[in-house]
Amino acid sequence: MTQTPPVADAPIQHGAGQPLPWEPVLMTAVGREGGRFLPDYLLRGGYQGLTKAVQEMDPDSVIKEISDSKLLGRGGAGFPTGVKWGGTKRNPGPRHLVVNADESEPGTYGNRYAIDADPHGLLEGMLVCCFAVGIQQAYIYIRGENLYGAEVLEHAIKEAYAAGYIGKNILGKEGFNVDISVTRGAGAYVCGEETALMESLEGRRAQPRIRPPFPIEVGGGLFGRPTVVNNVETLMCVPHILVRGAAWFASIGAPACPGPKLYTISGHVNRPGVYELPMGTTLYDLIYKYAGGMKRNQKVKAVSPGALACQLLPGTDLNVQMDTATLTRPPHWHPPFGPVGFGAGGIIVYGEETDIVQVVARAAGFFARESCGKCVPCREGTHWMQDVLSRIAHGHGRPRDLGILEDVTRNIGGRKTLCALGDFSVNSVASALRLFRPEFEAYCNGHARSSAAGSGVPVAAG
Amino acid sequence: MSLSQAARDRIVNDFIPRYPSKRAALMPSLWLAQEEAGWLGPEVFEEVGELLDLHPTDVASVASFYVMFHRRKIGDRLIEVCENPSCFLNGSDQTYARICDQLGLDSGHGGHGVQTTPDGKFSVRPTECLAACDYAPVVQVDLRFYGPVHGADVDAFLANMEAFSIEGKPSVSMANGPQAVPVDGWEAHAPPAPGSAE
Ligand SMILES: Cc1cc2nc3c(=O)[nH]c(=O)nc-3n(C[C@H](O)[C@H](O)[C@H](O)COP(=O)(O)O)c2cc1C
Ligand code: SF4
Ligand code: FES
Repeated sequence: MTQTPPVADAPIQHGAGQPLPWEPVLMTAVGREGGRFLPDYLLRGGYQGLTKAVQEMDPDSVIKEISDSKLLGRGGAGFPTGVKWGGTKRNPGPRHLVVNADESEPGTYGNRYAIDADPHGLLEGMLVCCFAVGIQQAYIYIRGENLYGAEVLEHAIKEAYAAGYIGKNILGKEGFNVDISVTRGAGAYVCGEETALMESLEGRRAQPRIRPPFPIEVGGGLFGRPTVVNNVETLMCVPHILVRGAAWFASIGAPACPGPKLYTISGHVNRPGVYELPMGTTLYDLIYKYAGGMKRNQKVKAVSPGALACQLLPGTDLNVQMDTATLTRPPHWHPPFGPVGFGAGGIIVYGEETDIVQVVARAAGFFARESCGKCVPCREGTHWMQDVLSRIAHGHGRPRDLGILEDVTRNIGGRKTLCALGDFSVNSVASALRLFRPEFEAYCNGHARSSAAGSGVPVAAG
Repeated sequence: MSLSQAARDRIVNDFIPRYPSKRAALMPSLWLAQEEAGWLGPEVFEEVGELLDLHPTDVASVASFYVMFHRRKIGDRLIEVCENPSCFLNGSDQTYARICDQLGLDSGHGGHGVQTTPDGKFSVRPTECLAACDYAPVVQVDLRFYGPVHGADVDAFLANMEAFSIEGKPSVSMANGPQAVPVDGWEAHAPPAPGSAE
């Protein structure tokens, strides 16, 4: 799949036949009276995708349709959903579906709004998956902080049981039985990692598993059974693909990873929020056209395009298309650390006012607290980074500290750990050192930036 | 006995049947126990362990992995202030400091632990991204979402939290519906579109 590089006078295509401005697909419930309840979902065409799957298609043709749509997982890794479903199905049952609603990546918040707005959209996507892959027990794992989201889901599940969309012989189909329940996490970012999530669901400390076996395989999934793990947004695309067709979906936005995307943008923009736009929308459009530009009209200094886990993009790189394919290959690839990363499309925008050293010090603190402690480089390295950066940020940095930092990043990064959290932890640190080294040097030479307006942090002078 | 009979019944009749293994009922059981007692102590670990056929040490080990399970008593209300980048860029440090000041706690202690007021009414701690960054700075009180709460809003917030509630509210960008609409006249304020990025 090739993609034309973005150029200034050729704005991205909003998909064949898509009217402008873009018509939302996933968030149509927003602003409707009772939008999150079953009666309104049915008015909006709800459960028609499932009905079509059950009455007009067979499980394999559903999987083929999802594969043809080129839907890539929205949780971060960008794995093709059809391939994941087909692979799971090739392994013997019983099988499970797990919905990853852990969403804890700083700067990422599309799932929370999607669940609030349209819980039945998620349930329908889940039921289609269960039908296609042959699954009778599905679990939603939602982060503990999002109690409201769990309540919204519990209510929707009750409605769907009562209406016969969940339960036994769904839609009159003999033997199509599915049970769905919600399990709440309790505050651990690593639970977003799919194998850690399954450990937590099984009632254990959330430490990622060694792969292989992979989750889709016997021995690797939930309770040792072949398991599909999908993100909330991934599954919410599914009913629309069945109703409108794979070709429609594949025509939206970036050809290599098409579809609607819930971009979340925050930081120094005037109108932060969730923007549903075609995959591949440029960062420039997201910041200026939709999010209303920068607070106090400042210039963009840097961007975390895939939230805190990815590398920083410089403020000069705004023409980049925001999608998995673009941000995971050259020139957005920086050895030895790998791709900049798109993650789940959570964009944090830093204006010129930002004291990047303070931001990176926070990022390091986050990953140090959230490391599960299973691998040595991540467990020890994240704390090293936190210690050194906190020293620098408090104005006590020494010139040799930057060398130490670089050493540590190289010792953690580059796939040396069991899960990607290790790599995530070095991404912002290593890229900030590459892009903004003089700012770190100034700190280490006793010239800490004084309290940067808007960044809100009093900096202890060195 | 620290778990109520109702809680035991719920664990046995509702949680355990949800999963193919008894152990998997542990997360919901710990949540339920914490809702009743406010925190999780050694007795809870024993009683939950008994219901799920787990050693109490095993239960405690799992509970201690998760920051939302409290292993000592905390205040009646728990106030958590997000300190991650989007909130930080929007002044969450001032929010945290002002909340601590107003409650007579030390905002400069720098750690991530819980501080509780001497009268036991409030506990405060910094927390990680609450996935509500469009309402930064975001505060969570007893797992309910509030924002934006700037430093200057703290007094009003402590007097009437519900005025700041964002539960069930759409994203800031979707106040007028789900459509992403270009901001009127955006070109006038935007720098020229960059040339080819690479
Ligand atoms: C540290 C870490 C945190 C993650 N957090 C999330 C998350 O919050 N939500 C999510 O869907 N995926 C998250 N992922 C990715 C999942 O492991 C997994 O790839 C994803 O849930 C698969 O769903 P998808 O194919 O629909 O994208 C995380 C991965 C890592 C390494
Ligand atoms: S990389 Fe870090 S979080 Fe992931 S398994 Fe290893 S120690 Fe745990
Ligand atoms: S950074 Fe504070 S809610 Fe996301």
